[in-house]
Amino acid sequence: MKRRIALGGLVVAVLVSLAAMAALSSAQASLKSEASPNAAAATTIVVWTDQNRKADVDKVTSTWGATRGVDVKVVVKDFGQIRDALKTIAVADAPDVIVGAHDWTGELAANGLVLPLFPRAAVKKQFPKYSLNAFSYGKNGARLYGIPTQLENIALIVNTGMAHAPKNWKDLESQALKIKKRTGSAVGIAVQQGSGGDAYHMYPFFSGLCGYIFQTTKTGGLNPSNIGVANKKFLANSALIDKWNSEGLIRSSVDSSTAQDLFLKQKTAFWVTGPWNVDPVRKAGIKFKIVQIPAIKCKSVPFLGVQGFMVTKYSTAHGVESAAKDLVSNYMAQPAAQVSLALANSRFPANTVAGKRVHDSALSAFGKASLGGVPMPNIPEMNSVWGDLGSAWVKSTKGPGATKARVAFSTAAKNIRIKIAGG
Amino acid sequence: MSSAAVPAKDPQRASAATSALSAPTRIVAAFSGTRGLLVKILLLGAANALAAWAAAVLADRGRWPALVGLVLATLAIDAIYLGSRTVPAKFLVPGTIFLVAFQVAPILYTVNVAFTNYSTGHILSKAEAIQGIESHSLQPPDNGQTYSMAPARDASGSLVLVLVADNGDTFVGTKKGLKPVPRDTVGVAGGAITSAKGYKLIKGPALFSLDKELNAFTVPTKGSAAIRPEGLDTAVDLEPSLRYDARRDVFVRTVGAHTVYRDDGRGRFASPTGDELEPGWVTGVGTKNFSAIVNNPLVRDPFLRVFAWTVAFATLTVLLSFAVGLFLAIALDKSGMPLQRVYRSILVVPYAIPGGLALLVWAGLLNDDFGVVNHILHVHVPWLFGSAWWARTSIILVSTWLTFPYFFLVSMGALQSIPSELTEAARVDGGGRWQVFRRVTLPLLLVVVAPLLIASFAFNFNNFNNIYLLTAGGPAAGDQSLAGATDILISYTYKLSFATGKGGAYGLASAVSILIFFIVATISAVSFWRTKALENVR
Repeated sequence: MKRRIALGGLVVAVLVSLAAMAALSSAQASLKSEASPNAAAATTIVVWTDQNRKADVDKVTSTWGATRGVDVKVVVKDFGQIRDALKTIAVADAPDVIVGAHDWTGELAANGLVLPLFPRAAVKKQFPKYSLNAFSYGKNGARLYGIPTQLENIALIVNTGMAHAPKNWKDLESQALKIKKRTGSAVGIAVQQGSGGDAYHMYPFFSGLCGYIFQTTKTGGLNPSNIGVANKKFLANSALIDKWNSEGLIRSSVDSSTAQDLFLKQKTAFWVTGPWNVDPVRKAGIKFKIVQIPAIKCKSVPFLGVQGFMVTKYSTAHGVESAAKDLVSNYMAQPAAQVSLALANSRFPANTVAGKRVHDSALSAFGKASLGGVPMPNIPEMNSVWGDLGSAWVKSTKGPGATKARVAFSTAAKNIRIKIAGG
Repeated sequence: MSSAAVPAKDPQRASAATSALSAPTRIVAAFSGTRGLLVKILLLGAANALAAWAAAVLADRGRWPALVGLVLATLAIDAIYLGSRTVPAKFLVPGTIFLVAFQVAPILYTVNVAFTNYSTGHILSKAEAIQGIESHSLQPPDNGQTYSMAPARDASGSLVLVLVADNGDTFVGTKKGLKPVPRDTVGVAGGAITSAKGYKLIKGPALFSLDKELNAFTVPTKGSAAIRPEGLDTAVDLEPSLRYDARRDVFVRTVGAHTVYRDDGRGRFASPTGDELEPGWVTGVGTKNFSAIVNNPLVRDPFLRVFAWTVAFATLTVLLSFAVGLFLAIALDKSGMPLQRVYRSILVVPYAIPGGLALLVWAGLLNDDFGVVNHILHVHVPWLFGSAWWARTSIILVSTWLTFPYFFLVSMGALQSIPSELTEAARVDGGGRWQVFRRVTLPLLLVVVAPLLIASFAFNFNNFNNIYLLTAGGPAAGDQSLAGATDILISYTYKLSFATGKGGAYGLASAVSILIFFIVATISAVSFWRTKALENVR
């Protein structure tokens, strides 16, 4: 028995020392490369992107990498998880550059995870002002935290075989109700809400009734203690929501898939959605036109979404901060890179020079429908708003037994105030 | 279902089983020969190799206490498996390791987080936060310039910046300041600096190795403003709007009123008026998260309603699924029934479909206006959105649909374990079918099933998926609070943590989770204690 154990011990010892040697030599190699980065392939930048953009991010970053002599490693992540993953990631595995939505800016900056960027004035001039504001955050003077690459917003898609582009709100309402009667559909306008609500897709109606979320301060920031969810003007107009509910113009039970179904099966001629749904409409062979929703009591503008790239604080620890900033605030801001990064996702590029090179009728129509739009609030307090604002719409448009809009939205405003104060 | 819980029905087989070696003994036997030794050495070698690799990584990252722990644990494991007097430990160690890794560690982590302010704006360490505030406070001064920039070495080899202003003026920036140089000494092509007389431009990989030096390099201009490199070929004149005073541990605003921001003990620097600097850092806040549960009206007001519904949901789901599962098991228990296996297989289908998928399908089927269920039945029942009571009913029905196959399987097995002599004797004594079931079958069944009922209750008590994917907690309850009519404690915790304040309130969420743990543990402990009484039936 003793001999056996000795034998076993010997084998284990050999295996351990082999493994240890392999591990140590690889660890040493990594230490060495940190000490003398002049060695081949010393500098690597890690970029996190989503699957849709992968091919074009690869193309853009490898062109940049070749001219600069930097290796770029593009890692695919689920878009929605990039923001949260950044909070808990170990420094060694963290990215230097991430793709992100502008409404993450406040949270990422408040967490101290992204670095402020200072692109040259000549570069900034090529972007619409709101797109840069969308990526700016700071209570005491805003800083820019990302370079916008693409713009998106929702609009009204009209099936021109069934209806004509509405001249005004009344026209839209009467056409929608007539078609609803004819097709026996449950709603006149397909706009998605679902059980949790969808304040984003309802925003054109919200702004059309003179609602706003946060007051804009003099310095262009947002004031989280002034909530306009139930402002006087909006409450005065809110009886219209009750009317829409009783006539079945909109319904909270419509979620994204039912909305698509209603429009593609021609049960309704009106669909409030974004450029991501243009392909299915084209494939279904439906003739369509894209317009802004007509003004109701105020202008019915959509939320503006801007997506772009940011430099993380981990780039400093990795010793690639200046290279990462060069990639993002210099190279990715150029028109050529902007065109490929935006079109990859069938969106309009943020850079205006690049915008002139895009000839896609649907994309430019969405661009026109964005006029006067409001960038989605990018301050972290917005987390307290989505749920309540969405559920106020759900409560007041759920059909029979719905809560009066005046009550639903006043309650939402009250809850939002408590939640923001309580956080 | 474990075979040990259900003794063999056939007495002959049972005696055969006792005469054969028990399963653990056989496993031990299999590992005692030369072959067993070889397997043991290979497994142990693999474990040691893994440990050695982990040790190298830990050493690389300088995690010394963890490294010591790892080495000690590995040595202990080797000693246990190479020794001959440690047989019980050999069986206990793997389970213990998994227990520590997947139960104890997360619990300790949760408890730890519950006493901190870990949330949006408070995820860094204090040192990192100070660095963050400093870098976020940089701003262009009035008439601040941006420059084309190229890092270079002067004759003595020190780092300088060759700069071209937007108006074409050329400079060389050193640590001392900006020095104008004649325009014709700097070569510019396509916006990039290509040469500078008397200086050697740094290019290629050498440039990247400079990263830290370059980012720390500043060319002072006016006051506290300085030109800083931004990327590889741009430099910007920036001044900090806040200055950190390490001695007093405060930040002072350098422009306008000289506001002082102090560490207010809540993981942030804040001015006397409550204006805070971002980012903040993680710090211990004592029992603040727990007192928030009591004091915060968002948590306190709907608590009893949510708690009552949580208990009702968990209880009704378990009881209904058990009732349906048991009924079907009894119904299909008849021997010689044609197609018995087919029926049994079909009944297990809900169990085989991934829960998340089944829930989303049900959410679609039950949609108030567009769902197939209303469409086929030609009714307009507000299953999910319209009415609180219907939504609660739907949730319980769908949860039952998802859970009954489990109890069907369990009951099927447990029924086999009840000796037929007992039921037959009861029948001979004149008991009716129902009486026999009530007085003999059910009590005997409960001995086996009761712990599973309790476990299922605890699981459903925290069944986030069922609620979130079906109704997301909606519709709104009568009191119009943040908690919807179908929110259970855990889904409400989720809403509280991720949809209040700035979001991401992990500290508060952990505190509520601990509270929920105590509630579930208490209910389970009481139930287990009560079921001990059942065992006396035997």
